[in-house]
Amino acid sequence: MAIQDKMIDATKEIFSTMVMMDISLEEVMGSHGKLTDTITAMIGLAGTHRGVLAVHFPYSVAMAITSAFLMMDVEEMNDDVHDAMGEIANMLGGNVKTILSEKGRDIDLSMPSTISGSEYSFQSDNDVEKVIVRFGTEKGSFMVELDLEK
Amino acid sequence: MGKNVLLVDDSKTMRIIIGRSLRQAGLDFDNIFEAADGLEALEVLEKENVDIVLSDINMPNMDGISFLREKSSRDAIKDIPVLMISTETGEDIIGEAKSLGAVGAIKKPFTPDKVNEVLGPLL
Repeated sequence: MAIQDKMIDATKEIFSTMVMMDISLEEVMGSHGKLTDTITAMIGLAGTHRGVLAVHFPYSVAMAITSAFLMMDVEEMNDDVHDAMGEIANMLGGNVKTILSEKGRDIDLSMPSTISGSEYSFQSDNDVEKVIVRFGTEKGSFMVELDLEK
Repeated sequence: MGKNVLLVDDSKTMRIIIGRSLRQAGLDFDNIFEAADGLEALEVLEKENVDIVLSDINMPNMDGISFLREKSSRDAIKDIPVLMISTETGEDIIGEAKSLGAVGAIKKPFTPDKVNEVLGPLL
């Protein structure tokens, strides 16, 4: 099964078991443009496979996901949102590590980190192979991006 | 139930989710203590009466493996069972955790049913 298919399955599993939010697969993409009013949660990969796993959530989607996680209304971008998005990246990173590494010791994951802003670009400097999958929710779409060094 | 649990995870969101999953699994604890890393977890274990620990592996300050190693060196707390809840599923890492005394592991993401299946028999 191609890595993108496993990433799709992993994302759906996380949202159905932990977030308890319905998501739909919208598109597998080769690239994306500037990110606006978005929060990006990312995990670095090092070892036999090097790169970054990033998840890009528009603010409205991030707040909706955090509300679902915490079972309370979240109506502003705050530490809880950053923490929740970081945890989604963390779980996806763990799944990607399992996909890429048999015994789990030859890939290290960083701690999740988040950035957010009204407009920014996200790109890897090195020559990377990109897998970008866009998902839809009731509140809008988000993207899961895996950039792996060739 | 009359038992106390310690949740160890650097993510506040995840600690809330684990607590919720315990309730949804029908596992009612008298007290749910929390710690954001292994260092805090050791402090809680030295002060409070904890029956079981649910711990992440990848955490800042002191990760789950180091926490297990340090805990096993302290007579007062070394026998408290620790169940790992982590995105880490590699046999090497889980094997190392078990060699340091972890009683099992649950992979994130997880369902309340899975929590009940693994944790229930340990209580």
